[in-house]
Amino acid sequence: MINRRHFLTTVAVGTASAGVLAACGNGASSSGETGSAENPVTINYTWWGNDDRAERTRKAIALFESKNPDIKVNGNFTDFAGYWQKRATEAAGGGLPDVMQWDLSYLRDYGQRNQLLDLSTVNINTDAFEKSLLPSGQIRGKTYGIPTSTNAFAVYYDPAKLASLGIAEPTGKWTYKEYNDFLTEVGTKSNGALFGGTDYTGVWWMFNIWLRQNNIEAFTEDGKLGFSKDDLKKWWNFTAELRGTPAIASEERVTQLAPKSAFGSNVTATEVTWDNFMAGYLADSGAKELKLVPVPSDDPDNLGLFLKPSMLMVASAKTKYKDAAARFIDFMVNDPEVGQIFKTSRGVPASKTQRDGTTFEGTDKLVVDYEKSIEQYLKDAPEPPIVGFGTLEASFKRISSDLNYGKLDINAATDAWFKEAEDLIKQNA
Amino acid sequence: MTTMATPTQSAPDANVPVYNPKSESVGAKRAKSVAFHAAALILTAIVLYPGLWMVASAFKPNSEIGGANTSLWSNNFSFDNFVTAMEGIGGVSTMQFFTNSLILAIGAVVGTILSASVSAYAFARINFPGRGIFFGMMIATLLLPFHVVIIPQYIIFQQLGLVDTYIPLLIGKFLAADAFFVFLMVQFMRGLPAELDEAARIDGAGHARIFGSIMLPLMKPALISTSIFSFIWSWNDFLGPLLYLNTPEKYPLPLALRLFVDQTQSSDYGAMIAMSVLALLPVLIFFLIFQRYIVEGVSTQGLKG
Repeated sequence: MINRRHFLTTVAVGTASAGVLAACGNGASSSGETGSAENPVTINYTWWGNDDRAERTRKAIALFESKNPDIKVNGNFTDFAGYWQKRATEAAGGGLPDVMQWDLSYLRDYGQRNQLLDLSTVNINTDAFEKSLLPSGQIRGKTYGIPTSTNAFAVYYDPAKLASLGIAEPTGKWTYKEYNDFLTEVGTKSNGALFGGTDYTGVWWMFNIWLRQNNIEAFTEDGKLGFSKDDLKKWWNFTAELRGTPAIASEERVTQLAPKSAFGSNVTATEVTWDNFMAGYLADSGAKELKLVPVPSDDPDNLGLFLKPSMLMVASAKTKYKDAAARFIDFMVNDPEVGQIFKTSRGVPASKTQRDGTTFEGTDKLVVDYEKSIEQYLKDAPEPPIVGFGTLEASFKRISSDLNYGKLDINAATDAWFKEAEDLIKQNA
Repeated sequence: MTTMATPTQSAPDANVPVYNPKSESVGAKRAKSVAFHAAALILTAIVLYPGLWMVASAFKPNSEIGGANTSLWSNNFSFDNFVTAMEGIGGVSTMQFFTNSLILAIGAVVGTILSASVSAYAFARINFPGRGIFFGMMIATLLLPFHVVIIPQYIIFQQLGLVDTYIPLLIGKFLAADAFFVFLMVQFMRGLPAELDEAARIDGAGHARIFGSIMLPLMKPALISTSIFSFIWSWNDFLGPLLYLNTPEKYPLPLALRLFVDQTQSSDYGAMIAMSVLALLPVLIFFLIFQRYIVEGVSTQGLKG
């Protein structure tokens, strides 16, 4: 029989010594250990995505390892939602992987908490990047993320559906009124079988673009709201007359269709969103072809458009292999062969070297051509969103759907959103 | 629905005061029985619909799943989704995910059975100093939400270098950290007559002998329900493996399932649902075999012949 007291003592001593041992282990970290071909260092790289991305990433990693025999890359992946739960736990435990695929909305959060490496201190070539794009990976002068690829906002439409209704395809040079008329025309001519679109005023980025078209900042330098209640009221009024008509699908209908989008379910003729949704929409809707045109604007010279990093590469601030991490990031964002592997599945490659080294066909070409066509209208990308931006974006969506349901009027909706936004900004200040 | 349910619900009420089985004609009885069964079947169909939807969708092409499509029938039934699902993800075969899930689930069952029964014996039968306090503390861990301990636990395992192994997921099971099962068994043992162990003690048996020869055989229902629950919980666990496992080769099924759905690219709902169906089979079989013991294990607190 095990003596109870003896057992407890053993456990206690064991636990204590384990703690001491672990504490000793921490002392060994120095900046940038390097490996050699005989004795390579191993860095961990993690990303979110599906099977397709996993295959492509494996190919890219194999290529990197063959070109850099002194570095081994250990690749891991999870789905998007689980990815952030895992990162939050790891960050709290001090164990973030060396290199990570990153999303813009989490950049400020982790950057401000000093979890991410300032990539301007290591050697990554950013010469081939649009200068307007890089600030989106920077916070207060430090570069936390390097964009791998870009998306731009666009209006999608299905030419076959428009042709069957006898409606001319849009040119992308339109005002909000013309866009509304177009939505109404689709709804009327199809006798309600097809909606013109969804309520675009519920899309945060569309609102953000409209603000930019009117030279208003969404957020100020110091992380406060840059627009007024009147601006928001004006915005939500844009579709006031369309709600409840066949021009836009009701929120009820859209909710029923989830997790698929209304556009992907062939319920609407147009959709405003990021241009990298193309492949998903094509697969969901089974449409032969979808086209992209710029968003409406009341000022034809200012479309408010910008390139947003669809994802970034970041490194952990605690990585022991800064040099290896930097070389891997540089390879993933700049190497033309990596572009050839990923095509537009991460978005349009951000680095010109990579973009020019990639051949685009079919849908890939459509997206690349769209981004080329709006080049002259592009302005600086906004700074990384404020901490808690995800919550704000979600409440924007929720409150505007209440508006769509008719549960709130525009004044009440505006007050509700401002209250939530101001509370959140205060909390995170 | 309501029109169907009303007669069956109100009929017994009306009859209760003057209920006399002999006074009812055979025809009325039969009509009542038919109405009752019809209502029960309709309710069952409603409850089972999501399950049926899942099974039907596993055979449908991706474009017919979700959206406005609520029908169970499709003209395009095929096994394509299962083929895709069995191909695996990112170079890891689906069998690997199944094996990993099985290792974790069986490990959890073995660990829980071994540790929880011994701990329960101590709490139920040995009068050691501080028993009440320790028992109270154990119950208190039941009230502690899992999310509170995630980060401290992660830090411990990370500092010990045990992340990306199955140890963080299984060690708790072998150390009777699942207070629920210990409690279940303590309650069960308390229901067993103390005279049995007294008799054994008089015959010269020690704790080990009493536990092994008297308690364990009598505890069979409790052991079986513990196995069922710990199997199912481990099989379905998502957060634990998500946090502690890094290498896709070590992922169990729930993690693998999520990899078919990616909001930022295209989602293969068909393959995900097909794999869900496959992932459910072992649990379903396990449950069907042992289901009669579940009720027995939880409800019987006394001696069973």
